[in-house]
Amino acid sequence: MVATAEIFDILQTIPDPEMPISITDLGLIEGVEISDTVVHIKLLPTFIGCFALPAIAAEIKQKLCEISGVETVEVEFIHEPAWSTDRISEAGRASLAEHGIAVPEIGSPCTSHNEIGTVELRTSAIPCPWCNSHKTTLKSPFGPTRCKSIYFCDDCRQPFERMKKI
Amino acid sequence: MSELDQQFYEPIVNMLLCVADDKLFLGHRNSDWTGIAPILEADIAFSSLAQDDIAHANAFYELIHSINGQNPDQIAFSRTAEAYRCADIVTMDDEFNWANAIARQFYCNVYEYLQLQRLSNATWIPLANLATRICAEQAIHIDHVTTWMDHLGNGTEDSKARLQRALNLYAPSASMMFETPEGIDLLFTGGILINDGCLFTAWKEYVDNIVEGTGLIILVEPCEGVGGRNGKHDADFVHALSELQEVFATDPLAAW
Repeated sequence: MVATAEIFDILQTIPDPEMPISITDLGLIEGVEISDTVVHIKLLPTFIGCFALPAIAAEIKQKLCEISGVETVEVEFIHEPAWSTDRISEAGRASLAEHGIAVPEIGSPCTSHNEIGTVELRTSAIPCPWCNSHKTTLKSPFGPTRCKSIYFCDDCRQPFERMKKI
Repeated sequence: MSELDQQFYEPIVNMLLCVADDKLFLGHRNSDWTGIAPILEADIAFSSLAQDDIAHANAFYELIHSINGQNPDQIAFSRTAEAYRCADIVTMDDEFNWANAIARQFYCNVYEYLQLQRLSNATWIPLANLATRICAEQAIHIDHVTTWMDHLGNGTEDSKARLQRALNLYAPSASMMFETPEGIDLLFTGGILINDGCLFTAWKEYVDNIVEGTGLIILVEPCEGVGGRNGKHDADFVHALSELQEVFATDPLAAW
């Protein structure tokens, strides 16, 4: 039977279709169950309306089926625990920052249930991922993907994206 | 509890349809603004909101699928008008008037947000989990529409007048969001949902709080009569439904 570690090694090589980060660093993988030749992956969607989900599922199936000893790959999307930006790894945060995508500090409202539904888009100064200046403004809460907003830095005069704190 | 007793199947499906159908049609109507909203950010926002709402509707249809095995696409597109459970505010023609679009969005988003908060306390765990997840996304919708209410409500005399006119226009249909769906009492007495008191009162307090200081008035009254939540729909709904079903009806079994 294939080892769980081997599955994780492959998953680690699968990038998110819309961001420079692997799906494991993004914190999408909640569970890997192996039973004989069947691999069952439990995946957390970032946002429920994310267009990339079918592409991610297809990529996982294709890559894992290439492993010898794996015949069937099932991908299941689950909502518990809820995905939050807290699940992004240190390596993932570094990779996103390098590409000008800011990631919220740990402390998602989703992780503590009593605070669900709070938004911090406008409530705190967001540091620019290019120059670290705090003189930034929210330009659009809705960005190119469901999980990001668009900001502008008044110091280095660059736009940047930031993952919504969820 | 993760397993639902069979006696609750019908009322819970009915209640889930109220939530899902609202989101499906609101998303459908909001997507009409793609490409023509007054400013670029608003265009991106309404397209994103539509994308969210339709995805949320789909997630609720999948939850219904887990109860009765019905295909989510079939649920969304294949019913006759009287089987839909949305309140008709979501399909009212907004005449491509931006104030109308914002007023409707304001009424509906606050309703959905408070409703989802309550559903996140459901004792049926799959529903509680999904509602918790969607509620976090819904908070971003509330934040967005609140910004527009502030922008127009504290803008010029003209923007205020237009927004007030729109709020009044949608007030009667907003009250129909609070129509009681059939079987909801059984969900309360059976302990599936927690009765958190009057949703209308909580909603009214929330919307009044947002417009406080702008001089805008919310004239929505508690619900009376029978409407969309019990399958009685108006002409705008029938028109929206025929539009929604047009493509699907050409080949109901196609894989999308």
